[in-house]
Amino acid sequence: MGTVHARSLEPLPMGGPDFGALGEEAELVEVEPEAKQEILENKDVVVQHVHFEGLGRTKDDIIMYEISDVFKAKNLIDVMRKSHEAREKLLRLGIFRHVDVLIDTCQGDDALPNGLDVTFEVTELRRLTGSYNTMVGNNEGSMVLGLKFPNLFGRAEKVTFQFSYGTKETSYGLSFFKPQPGNFERNFSVNLYKVTGQFPWSSLRETDRGISTEFNFPIWKTNHTLKWEGVWRELGCLARTASFSVREESGHSLKSSLSHAMVIDSRNSSILPRRGALLKINQELAGYTGGDVSFLKEDFEFQLNKQLIWDSVFSASLWGGMLVPIGEKPSSIADRFYLGGPTSVRGFSMYSIGPQSEGDYLGGEAYWAGGLHLYTPLPFRPGRGGFGDLFRTHFFLNAGNLCNLNYGDGPRAHLQKLAEYIRWSYGAGIVLRLGNIARLELNYCFPMGVQSGDRICDGVQFGAGIRFL
Amino acid sequence: MSLVAEAFVTQLAEEQILLSDNASSLAVQAFLQMCNLPVRVVCRANAEYMSPSGKVPFIHVGNQVVSELGPIVQFVKAKGHSLSDGLDEVQKAEMKAYMELVNNMLLTAELYLQWCDDVTVEEITHPRYGSPYPWPLNRILSYQKQWEVRRKMKAIGWAGKTLEQVLEDVDQCCQALSQRLGTQPYFFNKQPTELDALVFGHLFTILTTQLTTDELSEKVKNYSNLTAFCRRIEQQYFEGHDKDSSTTVAARSAKRSLLR
Repeated sequence: MGTVHARSLEPLPMGGPDFGALGEEAELVEVEPEAKQEILENKDVVVQHVHFEGLGRTKDDIIMYEISDVFKAKNLIDVMRKSHEAREKLLRLGIFRHVDVLIDTCQGDDALPNGLDVTFEVTELRRLTGSYNTMVGNNEGSMVLGLKFPNLFGRAEKVTFQFSYGTKETSYGLSFFKPQPGNFERNFSVNLYKVTGQFPWSSLRETDRGISTEFNFPIWKTNHTLKWEGVWRELGCLARTASFSVREESGHSLKSSLSHAMVIDSRNSSILPRRGALLKINQELAGYTGGDVSFLKEDFEFQLNKQLIWDSVFSASLWGGMLVPIGEKPSSIADRFYLGGPTSVRGFSMYSIGPQSEGDYLGGEAYWAGGLHLYTPLPFRPGRGGFGDLFRTHFFLNAGNLCNLNYGDGPRAHLQKLAEYIRWSYGAGIVLRLGNIARLELNYCFPMGVQSGDRICDGVQFGAGIRFL
Repeated sequence: MSLVAEAFVTQLAEEQILLSDNASSLAVQAFLQMCNLPVRVVCRANAEYMSPSGKVPFIHVGNQVVSELGPIVQFVKAKGHSLSDGLDEVQKAEMKAYMELVNNMLLTAELYLQWCDDVTVEEITHPRYGSPYPWPLNRILSYQKQWEVRRKMKAIGWAGKTLEQVLEDVDQCCQALSQRLGTQPYFFNKQPTELDALVFGHLFTILTTQLTTDELSEKVKNYSNLTAFCRRIEQQYFEGHDKDSSTTVAARSAKRSLLR
């Protein structure tokens, strides 16, 4: 919480715009240093003025939205609470480095006996900030250099430029973000990017240059994203020994797609949650806004967590997806789904399940994967209350299947195909939580249901990433 | 040891292929026909990117992928077929020299005409090269390729040449070939070699491709023994043989027939 000072004799510092206050009849407020909480709660107060100090380029209207609730407070505790909420909202805009709150009695000619003044002392971020971080993605690490222009035109617009050099990928991107004033969860952004990736499991190299615009907006408890993306994709072989099926996919293509995603997330944390559920549904339609790639892609992700006795958590997750090519052209290797690896079905090598040709995995048009996990604290709880809390032991059962569907057959045949040759695995290991962003896992796995062509990693497997099955 | 059943020559699609690639592709087809090896021609829009060296044509035999005439000749030789076994060392060196001449002169002249002559670029090359791709990718790829070829021209010193100078070079090259051929049926008397395949590929394509001007084909027509040579090889190896292959050879879009 910010600082709350109770002074009664010195005048308040003036600065920032004055706002009108709601008038109300009330008694005199006596602020005594030993005032007990129940006395404070019983006293009606009125917030007469809200001052802002330290505003530079930030425009007034977005500030007004965030602090409008402060005026509705009826007693001192309420004022403190609403000011705290307003402070959180202002920080969330991403344009201030510090926000301090000062609550004091009102002075001056128009002061009511129970009037209060609330002052927000803010420090804006500099016009240009640079950053250097390291990033951990799904089994790769990279060094990221960033330039940021926060609050570019005064209404929390942000322009970011990022350059990332990693073990597998090199990329750069420029993005412009603008929230709706008063409704930060509603925003839109425009991105320009170039991303290169290497996929040794398919002997494939991919370079994407693209532009995308997206709108985010919440509806009730869900978060929706509408996005248009245009990407120029260049595929090539990673080695001379690439199989001919992969060689046939080399070349250029242009994908122009519209997509919609819906997320409902009630978990208490995105890494190692203790309770709550997550549902993500994503659909993408390509080909109707240009380009030469045409498909309809659906995929979903579901996760449920429940806390059990003795600080252990039971977690169940289910992923699935389907790619339907539209027209006679077959699907491209860059659009298909992949399965397997330390972040997906454990016990198998990275993306090494399913259709393959001469050792290169081609991905599939439909898949499903599920996992059951039990997370417990480390045995004998070393380092309890400190470092030890970052680790958890973890028992898992994973299963999944990936295949191509012949869309001429009916859904019954598809379900049958997805239900035969299920790959599954079980095992145990240790999970380390890295902040709120990533996790590391070290597992001992027993892969089962292995089909010819799959590559397994039985025994110890290490995984690092953000999204795990 | 005979070659595994089917090789296929991959080239760019009918409406997309350019003069220089067509010439290289025809040379490889002629060579394989001369070796009596069955060949199936497959057209793919991304053949250039599929090729391990970035150039068309390439052949896919069993598990192997080999691109460009030189490596293909080596590959076929390793499998036990060769057209130049009967030549002695001096003749082999001479053959290599003439093949280098064709590659350095004729092929480069074709590339120059396609990518550095503004009229041809606008009217023929850009529309053809980008035809399989949607906008704006077709423009981006054409310009990218043009920039690459022009950079190569600068590196070998052809950037400063005018069209007349290039046509002069073509004329000189044809003169040298004509003199070497003389009245013989093939360059090395009775038997065709890879040099014959290469020369046929380039000259036939030049003679039968319609460009914005006829100057290039006129230069070749000046030498009657070269046109007779092309006709002879066409008759012997492409007509009456695999019907598909001959229609591919003869029915290139906007071509005039060699036989009048």
